Amino acid sequence: MTVQDRTQESQEPSLSEAPPADASLPSGEEKILISEVADLVAEEGHAFGKREVRVTGSRVSVYDEAGALLLTVPMSDIKTARTESLVGGARLELTTTAGILPIAEFTASIAPRFSEMARGIEQLAKGEELAIKLTYEKTRCEKCHRLLPEKDGRCPACVKRMAVLGRILSYMAPYKTRVLVVASMSLLSTATTLLNPHLPREITDHVLNSKTPQTLEVGLPKLLLYVGMMLVALALGALCEAIRGWNVAFLSGNIAKDLRADVYRALEHLQLSFYDKRQTGAIISRVSQDTDRVWGFLVEGVPYLLTASLTLVGTGIYGIVSFPKLSLAILVPVPIVAVCGLLMWKPMSTLFHKVGQQWGRFHTQLNESINGIRVVEAFVQESGEWAKFDKRNRSLAQAGIFVDRRWYIFNGAMLFLTGLGALINWGYGGYLVLKGEMTFGTLLAAQQLLWQVYGPLQWFSQVNQWFSRAMAGAERVFEVIDSKPEAYENPDAVKMPNMRGDVTFDNVRFGYDKSNPVLKGINLDVKAGEMIGLVGRSGAGKSTTVNLLCRFYEADAGSLKVDGVDVKDIDLQDLRRHIGIVLQEPFLFNGTVADNIRYGKPDATMEEVISAARSACAHDFIVQKPDGYDTQVGEKGGKLSGGEKQRVSIARAILHNPRILIMDEATSSVDVETEKKIQQAIGNLTAGRTTFAIAHRLSTLRTADRLVVLEKGKIAEVGTHAELMEKKGIFYSLVETQKQTSKAVAEAASDIAYTEEEQGE
Amino acid sequence: MIETMAAADASAVKPPTISADASGTEPLQTQDGKREPILDLKSVRLFHDPPGTLRVTVDRNGRDGWESYSYPVARIYQAAPLSMPGRFIVLQDGKGEEIVMADRLGDLSEESVPVAEEELRRRYLTARITAIPHIKQEFGVTYWDVLTDRGKRDFVVQSMSESCMWLSDNHILITDVDGNRFEIVDREALDPHSQEQLVQVM
Repeated sequence: MTVQDRTQESQEPSLSEAPPADASLPSGEEKILISEVADLVAEEGHAFGKREVRVTGSRVSVYDEAGALLLTVPMSDIKTARTESLVGGARLELTTTAGILPIAEFTASIAPRFSEMARGIEQLAKGEELAIKLTYEKTRCEKCHRLLPEKDGRCPACVKRMAVLGRILSYMAPYKTRVLVVASMSLLSTATTLLNPHLPREITDHVLNSKTPQTLEVGLPKLLLYVGMMLVALALGALCEAIRGWNVAFLSGNIAKDLRADVYRALEHLQLSFYDKRQTGAIISRVSQDTDRVWGFLVEGVPYLLTASLTLVGTGIYGIVSFPKLSLAILVPVPIVAVCGLLMWKPMSTLFHKVGQQWGRFHTQLNESINGIRVVEAFVQESGEWAKFDKRNRSLAQAGIFVDRRWYIFNGAMLFLTGLGALINWGYGGYLVLKGEMTFGTLLAAQQLLWQVYGPLQWFSQVNQWFSRAMAGAERVFEVIDSKPEAYENPDAVKMPNMRGDVTFDNVRFGYDKSNPVLKGINLDVKAGEMIGLVGRSGAGKSTTVNLLCRFYEADAGSLKVDGVDVKDIDLQDLRRHIGIVLQEPFLFNGTVADNIRYGKPDATMEEVISAARSACAHDFIVQKPDGYDTQVGEKGGKLSGGEKQRVSIARAILHNPRILIMDEATSSVDVETEKKIQQAIGNLTAGRTTFAIAHRLSTLRTADRLVVLEKGKIAEVGTHAELMEKKGIFYSLVETQKQTSKAVAEAASDIAYTEEEQGE
Repeated sequence: MIETMAAADASAVKPPTISADASGTEPLQTQDGKREPILDLKSVRLFHDPPGTLRVTVDRNGRDGWESYSYPVARIYQAAPLSMPGRFIVLQDGKGEEIVMADRLGDLSEESVPVAEEELRRRYLTARITAIPHIKQEFGVTYWDVLTDRGKRDFVVQSMSESCMWLSDNHILITDVDGNRFEIVDREALDPHSQEQLVQVM
């Protein structure tokens, strides 16, 4: 969005987010190009407040909340503009001819916007054209004015619950017949439960009635008839339940499968920035736990609700029709039970939640100390770890005892309240029988009915909780499914079945966090087949540069072209098909060595696999393994050594046959001897390909055609190894430092060896 | 302290450590890589010049006896802002290298303490929650409506278990969705209504 667009739009949102740029503009003044409201006030002890910063073509001005001008700086005085990052916020500073001038302070909520403003001010001060990205993100829900958990995200309160429910239900659509069967079986089994109070009543009143005793000859057929009817009802009910369960099992299995598949498919295609913000565990829980909640509700919750409410309504009607007075009397405690259930359930569920969290912490603690057992033992911290474990273990036990005790009290109270219904029945019902207004059979029927009403009632209080949890789970699941995927299916994308491998960086700027740019204008032309060594201190932007090339992230400004086409416009699959990556920590998948080498080209023949392994200097060690190429590498390749894994990953890259190769610290985690082998393998790999190599050991970059030295997000030096050494600049000093360090390390190592020898003797 | 005094000799390089001595002699790295001691923490002067920019001057032993050194850009940090706020105050120069570390704020000169306090308040924008009129938890999101030492504020927290750090049994640090920080120094010291609100979500 250009600045002009933004200023027009800025008239819509509320004052707190976007001040009306033109409205407060006195006539005759120039147009405001950028304007932001800072939310901290330095003069008031850095308290929350409002300060508006307006940028025009000729000056930067600060206004207070009432609109009075506090400070104005002519653009011609400004040398640079930047934001100083603070803990939980930042400050906009201008470097002027008179020194550093603080302009405004603000919290982390709006820091990225001011960082863009700083960039804009610098552009204007240099007389350049204003080119910044200021998109207005919604921070509050337009409907209910609640703060949004994610900028421009959905308001969890205003998500149409019915729409979400509808979407959940849509997962049933492919299985309509089964759903129909489950629904009708639920109805039928409910109907048979209604016979439960009715048949005993008939037997008691018409067959076993002590007032009108019947002979065996007359009574027995009647009795058999009723017992037969009971048998039919019983069998029918059982059959319904069996058919229902049979289909529910099918539905739950398949719906859970469909949900998990949708989430996983969406996760695979998500932009990497989605993963930066979240923990792996949280993402995995979306695939497993959240989907569980959704299908659990769908397959078990919905039918339960259906049958429970039908039973409730059915028995209620039966009772009121057959014995109105008694029914009303029995139902007196119902509201009390319902209200108590609701009131007590809320704190109970909080307690259960707490126990769940305690379990989580217990698991984390246990997991950590078992995984780190070597460190624990090496540092003799067994007792310390034991103390931590003991503390968690105890608090877990305490929480469990606490919640269980509350639970039994809660349960006891519910039993008592429900028991009151039975008491009323015997008392008032017995009185009615004695008075002759009602038969004894009716009393028995009422007793039966009582349990059918009170049973589901106890659990109705949980339904809201159940529903809410399913909805929350559904939202998280749908958030992933609806997230903007990578642009795999852009119909306008340029197809690139063949690639030469020319790469051009044109003033590329980028930051993972927009308020903190990592790359600040990279310009570089790389010819096809050239090998570039990226050098610089950690954090200089080396890995970021290659991340942009793979389009794991997109540049904030400037352009990055491959063969003259902007990477944003190249078909993503084509782009990545031509890029190969060898990482510092090669990631192998659980499977055989051959499977891993074939990863990028699953249809490769065994001959191709072996030839790739040969080029990667991996063939020899592979065949020495008992299972050769069929060796299982284990989880994350754990059964291979670091150097072996690295060579397998190089073989994988060779077979993938990319035009552009990226090596990110590919040799830093192996010993010198292995490194030689790997260097040789890399030599085979890089031949004829455009290569970007990042290496910590600068000596390994000797073969590079050009070295690019990055410093604080900018290119500081470019040249061959020899040229840069002669120049005696940054690269030279890096090499010198490394020489000294390795010398010191070597000396220290020989000292240790010496001491060990002595000890050995 | 004989050892530290010997550090005045350029050949004796001592790593920067905190001196146990109250006078707090501190080694200082100069541009030519030599460390020179600052004899007295009280000689470290903090002031704002121009307004809003922290400057630091120190006295150190130079070639020609005692010299005053000035750092036109300086930043102040707390080494352990959560567990030991106000302790181990570090001053760094514009390059991010340490000028001096004070064991506690009071070790600095009387005039410098308020400047340091002001700078710390500016850098550490954590707002201290003084009262909680309202908290609501819905659909896994927690909406806070709080009064702080910096004024009234409302904010959202996505996942309470991930965003709340318990610094002690009653001391809580909360980070909202944007990365703003809020602190409850002692939850039992809050008024009953605020505590009631807090219990609902904790």
